[in-house]
Amino acid sequence: MHLEDLLKLSGVIIVVIGLALKLRTTLVVVVAALVTGLLAGLPLFSNEGFFQDLPYLTKPGQTGIINTLGRAFADNRLMTLFIITLPAIGLAEKYGLQEQAAALIRRVHAATVGRLQIVYQLFRVLNGLMGIRLNGHPSFVRPLIFPMSLGAARAESNPHEVPSQTIEKIKAANAAAENYGNFYGQNLSPVQAGILLVFGVMQGLGYVVGVWDLVFYTIPIVVASILLAIIQFSLFDHRLRRDREVRR
Amino acid sequence: MTMMPAVSLSLLFSRVFTLDFVYLLTGLVLLVFASLTFVDRSNRRRLGSGVFWLVLGIIFTLGSLMPHWLTGLLVLFLVALDGAGQVSRGSRETEQKDQAEHARRLGDRIFIPVLAIPIVTFAFALIFRLRGLDASRGALVGLGFGGIAAMIIGLRLTGGTARMMMEEGRRLNEAMGAVNILPQLLASLGVIFTAAGVGDLIASGIQQIIPANNLFLLVLANCLGMALFTIVMGNSFAAFPVIATGVLVPLIIKPYGVNPAMAAIITLTAGSSGTLMTPMAANFNIVPAALLNMRDQYGVIKFQLPFALTIWSFHVLLLWLLIRVL
Repeated sequence: MHLEDLLKLSGVIIVVIGLALKLRTTLVVVVAALVTGLLAGLPLFSNEGFFQDLPYLTKPGQTGIINTLGRAFADNRLMTLFIITLPAIGLAEKYGLQEQAAALIRRVHAATVGRLQIVYQLFRVLNGLMGIRLNGHPSFVRPLIFPMSLGAARAESNPHEVPSQTIEKIKAANAAAENYGNFYGQNLSPVQAGILLVFGVMQGLGYVVGVWDLVFYTIPIVVASILLAIIQFSLFDHRLRRDREVRR
Repeated sequence: MTMMPAVSLSLLFSRVFTLDFVYLLTGLVLLVFASLTFVDRSNRRRLGSGVFWLVLGIIFTLGSLMPHWLTGLLVLFLVALDGAGQVSRGSRETEQKDQAEHARRLGDRIFIPVLAIPIVTFAFALIFRLRGLDASRGALVGLGFGGIAAMIIGLRLTGGTARMMMEEGRRLNEAMGAVNILPQLLASLGVIFTAAGVGDLIASGIQQIIPANNLFLLVLANCLGMALFTIVMGNSFAAFPVIATGVLVPLIIKPYGVNPAMAAIITLTAGSSGTLMTPMAANFNIVPAALLNMRDQYGVIKFQLPFALTIWSFHVLLLWLLIRVL
């Protein structure tokens, strides 16, 4: 491989190292884009308008990096359209949306810890399907799902106390149910971030894919994620039960 | 006269129910957010933050008319503002007590405005489809009008004021902050990688190791690359443009004539399996462990590991099978 080829990969390396070091993400991505373009010998600006024939900044017949960046950013505004939904969601939150959602979850009577996780994961898949974007760890898992799980574990182990290692495992299961439901469920809506990212990137590569096709082809993955979770959480219930019997 | 409704209907679809119109509306929302930020005394960086949302609002409003170089320079400006730490949020939060009180009064009716968004989104996609237009665009236009419909329904239902509503929207927007534009930046990075020939380079590197006619190994390399990049970067959205330009399109979709929608979305979630395994995705794996006061900060990852490895393997098999079958 030639040296100039290796230089082109510096953008990939900048992204990997920059994000691994937790540097500011927006800055890392744009620096990587500029460096990659410059090392590949692309000019900063297209040779047109008032940049015409400017030395160093333009090269005849080549599209500038800044022009490409501007066009791609404008073309991909669709990924940030969700901002238009924020006033309505914010208003609903002020008038008790989260409390009401919590009340909805509290109405669930799942007999065991594992089943409660399954129900919560399905609730998060449903959120994804409706195009709702939220981080459930602070809003549902900590204030709601964990206490409910603990309540279920205590009811089962009655009259014994739930040992602290078991509580630790329950906490891990709570967070996992949120992540499973969120990651795979969100692609069920054509206006969610992942679908729009794939749509935009593929368009940039010359493939116009339909957002509904993307949703369609994610269905087997969503089904698999739910089935796998059912297996994992059922085994979890089984292990909790066995632990209880050992203690007796 | 009988022609009027038909004419105005098609005018509606060519002028109002368009992406450009929805971008304009979103831009206006951003301009309102910006003006509220400028006067937010609880935000120590209200000037920088206000300018950030103002410029983003301008890009949304005029993005289809402005020359690309100007948009590009404005994007650099946005990122410089964020890089200099000038974009931050106010410290005002919604009163918890109020929320509980209102929740009792409105009950489940509070879900109506929120549910209006997906319903309108879906309805637009359906109508676009029936009129022979692009259903993808229909969903996006529907998202925009769904947002507007939800605002109107929400105001009527709650009796709140428009000012209050925009303040609450701004609170949510600022809670996410500059990271909002990250998907847009990542997609742009992908375009520049392609222009610079980065994709071809990665592809030729992989071709030296894996023979071009071994589909299974190519699919394996694609899903493994996606998971590994995600594990290192902590973000599957950042990994996707790299893998799509370097592996998926040049080595699988193009030579094998594969359905691009199917292959692309399966590749993305192969990355999600990586997210489940990495402490780099702190928001999902480390912060929750802290929120729950777990003794082991890697406890969540350890629980997720068997699930993640299994579903990742399923991605490899599914992608390989679907390419052979479809």
